[in-house]
Amino acid sequence: MNVIDELNTVFRSVFDNETLEVGPLSTASDVEGWDSLSHVNLIMAIETRFKIRFNTKELLTFKNVGDLAAAIEKHTRVNGA
Amino acid sequence: MKVVQDGQYNIGHICTRWQCDNGRADKIALRLLRADGSLRVQWSFADLDRRSNQFANVLRELGFRPGDVLFTFLPRCEEQFVVFLGALKAQVVIGTLFANFGEEALLDRLGDARARGLVTRSSLYRKIRRIRGSLPDLSSVMLIDGPIPPDSGLLDYHALLAEMSADFAVPPTPPDMPSVLHYTSGSTGKPKGVQHVHRSVLHQSETMHEVFNLLEDDRYWCTAEQGWVTGTSYGIIGPWSLGVTQVQYEGGYEPRRWFDILAGERVNVWYTSPTALRMLMQEDPELFRRVELSALRHIFSVGEPLNPEVVAWGRRVLDRDVHDTYFQTETGGIMVANRPQLPIRPGSMGMPVASVEAAVIDDAGEVIDDPQRVGNLCVRQGWTSMFVAYLNREDEYRRRFRNTWYYTGDQVYRDADGYFWFVGRADDVINTAGHLISPFEIESALLEIAEIAEAAAVAIPDSILFEKVAAFVKVRPGICASAELELKIRLHVSNRVSTIATPQVLRFVDSIPKNKSGKIMRRVLRATLTGEDPGDLSTKEDTP
Repeated sequence: MNVIDELNTVFRSVFDNETLEVGPLSTASDVEGWDSLSHVNLIMAIETRFKIRFNTKELLTFKNVGDLAAAIEKHTRVNGA
Repeated sequence: MKVVQDGQYNIGHICTRWQCDNGRADKIALRLLRADGSLRVQWSFADLDRRSNQFANVLRELGFRPGDVLFTFLPRCEEQFVVFLGALKAQVVIGTLFANFGEEALLDRLGDARARGLVTRSSLYRKIRRIRGSLPDLSSVMLIDGPIPPDSGLLDYHALLAEMSADFAVPPTPPDMPSVLHYTSGSTGKPKGVQHVHRSVLHQSETMHEVFNLLEDDRYWCTAEQGWVTGTSYGIIGPWSLGVTQVQYEGGYEPRRWFDILAGERVNVWYTSPTALRMLMQEDPELFRRVELSALRHIFSVGEPLNPEVVAWGRRVLDRDVHDTYFQTETGGIMVANRPQLPIRPGSMGMPVASVEAAVIDDAGEVIDDPQRVGNLCVRQGWTSMFVAYLNREDEYRRRFRNTWYYTGDQVYRDADGYFWFVGRADDVINTAGHLISPFEIESALLEIAEIAEAAAVAIPDSILFEKVAAFVKVRPGICASAELELKIRLHVSNRVSTIATPQVLRFVDSIPKNKSGKIMRRVLRATLTGEDPGDLSTKEDTP
């Protein structure tokens, strides 16, 4: 399963929507209910699933799902190294 | 401007047809902006009148009768306004539901109101589908987007609207006819349905003048969502009852975009929340210096107390005063306010508006005249936007009134010059970012989680949100606290109740302190996080 596929699983669980589909260009405007509070849930869910920890600086750079996926890949590469 | 003529109190009529009859048919009523700031919809008052007439005809066609209850469960979108005004024209009671409500919150509200109809969109309908079996009165569900699955029993809002005439004769509507229904949280029990009547338009329009100093050709922007009372009282009824152009924005908090809107739309009067303003205070002041705000005359806020620091920031960075206003779902409109004609005392709520008599009253029912002495904030019964009922809870409604005074549940004092100062709530309701949440609703959701044996929710202070939700949970024997369980808890509360109810602080504890009659001692729990004195512990039950 690639990162975007895994992210879709996380998004469906966080936003309680089994039909939700996100892609690299999806932003908060494209996902119903993606507000500042659910964003905290989303980040926590991603960190738990991928066993990573984002730093504060990184969190401020995420503009879309693609940015999230890239950061996850970077962390998992480091963890795996 | 006198908004009621010939005894016609109908809010839908006053906000549309009456504006057209008074020379504003072609005037812009609504400029709805997409999340990226581009224009989605620009409607004149004639457009709004035609569309809301069509929707009133839809309701007639579907057999809705005066007093039936219809809800919207929508994000910010043009349909929200059409449905709201059309329902009122047909004398149908209209309730609005916050788009981030979870199933439990939806079931409580739709079930209690015995809602007959709902307008929503397909992505939100999935939450309704799961509870629809428990809502036997819900006969008409309209979706604003397609495709509508065949044999689903769902109705196509746009197809229905297109078939209807744009003419509708609004029946003469007396002042005491039920109009808007909002639910509000108490510290115990389920949320209460706060019923308003068409008379409220008098107070909402008067306060637009008195507090906001709104002028005929102003552009006005209220950032509140229509799922809450500010979004209907001052994001629909107030401005449109005066024929004023409104800007509405589909997106959420986005500082750069917000200031582009204020500048680009040449907004004259801006109504927002202390939480949003406190978040803006965190931004680089350069952001504000680059925008041209010459049109912006006044800024107001509502929802939680406004800290003096925000007033100082507004003066320093925006060169504008920020005026705090106070009201509740029950009051339907502003009761106490700072306003441009009144020198601001930073941190105070301001003074009562002209048509409202407010007092500080002690628990024995005596009016407190001594300045600085804290008591209950009360409003003399009979203001024109007063709620008329807690739906199905007559006793609770009666309990809020004593000797012709309405008890708001807020603790205040009044200084020697008549300014009111907020001290705190008299109950355990949590006010986070201006939204009231019942600890009971959160605790009920927490106890649905199999791993949890006991739970308690309390408010703790927060520098941005005013208060945030802190939850204490005792897990069942054999269960260990873990990051996975914490995530499960957060998501469960978020999806069952609402994102705003999600615990921002979660503590796994060995026991939940209770008094000898089994009541959760919230002050003891709060003290463990804030470090404040937990108070008298003599009634605490000794439990392991």
